Amino acid sequence: MIRPVTLLVLAIMSLLLVSLVQGDYPVPLTELWQVLRGDPAVGAEIDMIVLDLRLPRAVLALLVGAALGVAGAITQAVMRNPLAEPGLLGINSGAALAAMIIIVGMNPAPDHLVPAASFAGAAAMTLAVYLLAWRNGTSSLRLILIGIGLSSLGGSATAFLSAFGDVRDVQRAMVWLAGSIYDASWAKVQTLLMWAGLPFALVWASARQLDTISFGDETARSLGQPVDRVRLMMIAACTLLSGAAVAVSGLIGFVGLIAPHLARRIVGRSHVRLVPAAALLGAVLVMAADLVGRTIIAPAQIPAGILTALLGAPFFAFLMWERRHVAA
Amino acid sequence: MLQHERQGPASLSATGVAIGYGRTRVVGALDLTIEPAAFTVLVGPNGSGKSTILRALAGLLPVEAGTIELNGQSIARLSIKQLARHVGVLAQNPRAPEGLTVAELVQQGRYAHRSLFGRWSEADQVACTEALELTHMGEFAGRPLDSLSGGQRQRAWIAMTLAQQTEILLLDEPTTFLDLGHQIEVLDLVVKLVRERRKTIVAVLHDLNQAARYADRLVLLKEGSIVSEGTSHDVMSREHIRDVFGVDASIIPDPYTGAPMCIPALGTRVCPDNG
Repeated sequence: MIRPVTLLVLAIMSLLLVSLVQGDYPVPLTELWQVLRGDPAVGAEIDMIVLDLRLPRAVLALLVGAALGVAGAITQAVMRNPLAEPGLLGINSGAALAAMIIIVGMNPAPDHLVPAASFAGAAAMTLAVYLLAWRNGTSSLRLILIGIGLSSLGGSATAFLSAFGDVRDVQRAMVWLAGSIYDASWAKVQTLLMWAGLPFALVWASARQLDTISFGDETARSLGQPVDRVRLMMIAACTLLSGAAVAVSGLIGFVGLIAPHLARRIVGRSHVRLVPAAALLGAVLVMAADLVGRTIIAPAQIPAGILTALLGAPFFAFLMWERRHVAA
Repeated sequence: MLQHERQGPASLSATGVAIGYGRTRVVGALDLTIEPAAFTVLVGPNGSGKSTILRALAGLLPVEAGTIELNGQSIARLSIKQLARHVGVLAQNPRAPEGLTVAELVQQGRYAHRSLFGRWSEADQVACTEALELTHMGEFAGRPLDSLSGGQRQRAWIAMTLAQQTEILLLDEPTTFLDLGHQIEVLDLVVKLVRERRKTIVAVLHDLNQAARYADRLVLLKEGSIVSEGTSHDVMSREHIRDVFGVDASIIPDPYTGAPMCIPALGTRVCPDNG
């Protein structure tokens, strides 16, 4: 148990280090050390590159990945479906639609409004999914079906807007939607911590609830769990976590699907261990995707969301292939 | 032993209970009193409402009319968690998340006894160890559930409900997927829990002869109503069997226990549409 987690933490530390050193302007380790110590001998330029550009970017990638990983672990437990991910709750499509409405509809769209709007869109869509799935209580299957239905509805509304909107606006929206951490800032780091910190702590502290709800409504209820209330709380936490992540980084797909799966392989099913492990793995994935995306064809940058999708699609196939002998 | 286990046997009863799924009413006006510290078995053809009644007694199905009372108090007034401290349920075909070990499964039985952020306590551990011992599952504690035989898996689930330390246990067809040896093992365990621990146990069983042999009380159901209830000698009669199952049968004494055994005659299904 201790060793895989230690390895993950080491991986994050190394990614952090490489992120600070690598880039258009390589910063040698000796200079990095001087910057981190606050040595006045280093130029103000290097100081800015490391502390105001690369460090917040790496930290933001870490936090976004962690939030998405935990949100994925929650969704898979609550939906009782290994293929579930936060997007299934309508979070992505709600955020995308809201961002598109703001960017295409408002002229000119104020930059700071997009994250707030996408967060609100994600929350509104999840709420709609939850309310429509409510019939004397909720069920995983109804949530999944209604989530898929409303998501495609939101998707077609987004597509409609992009077909009729101004080309430059649409392109701007598309870039935002692709999911990128390129304009990271300490303010974004703060925003994400503020919205996602508390839900993460609460979910981890009540990880046991996720273990019990994974058994299915009837068994969980007969064990004494108020299933509907727990599901509502967990979906709310999941919405805050992934909604906040989407707001600061756009849509970074597949992390919410892959991170909990890998975490389960490493630490097992118990959510006390699974939740932090999914957070660490999500952090590694997004940090690595962002690092590769901004260095591989520099100075051009590939958005992290595109790289995680490139990685995610084959993984998805692998998952299906590996479960080919499991009865449906 | 924990506080609630010292309180002695608990009573469970249904008064004027009606249960339905959507618009179909499965159970009409049911009056049923479960005898404390005894083994009650619900029998009847498919669709006679056995499982429905059991689930309603467990508070897992809302009743449309009437009340279900636990120790004289309506269970509708109890929270799910309070109820789960008194009534344990084993579903018909329970499913566990992949890869779960027996120990992890049994620990789930402690849910109702733990507070929101409460830590695993000494009492929790004792209850689990005891449940594993009673079911002879101690040696399998570390094994994944998927790797066990059907009988072992069923015993693991029973261990989970035992760890719940409830006075009342409701078992929905606990022997259905087991071979004969494992069926007997499960039923012997049930009788032991009733005799030695004074538990109140209600089960749905398909095998009439096993029901008659092990049950203290039989409840014979047809289309959601009670046709007959009482000792196996009261309930197992030619008339009842013909009325409920639509077959002619001879009733002979069980060579080991003297309980009534029902031997259906060949080709005598009177009304095949009856169930």
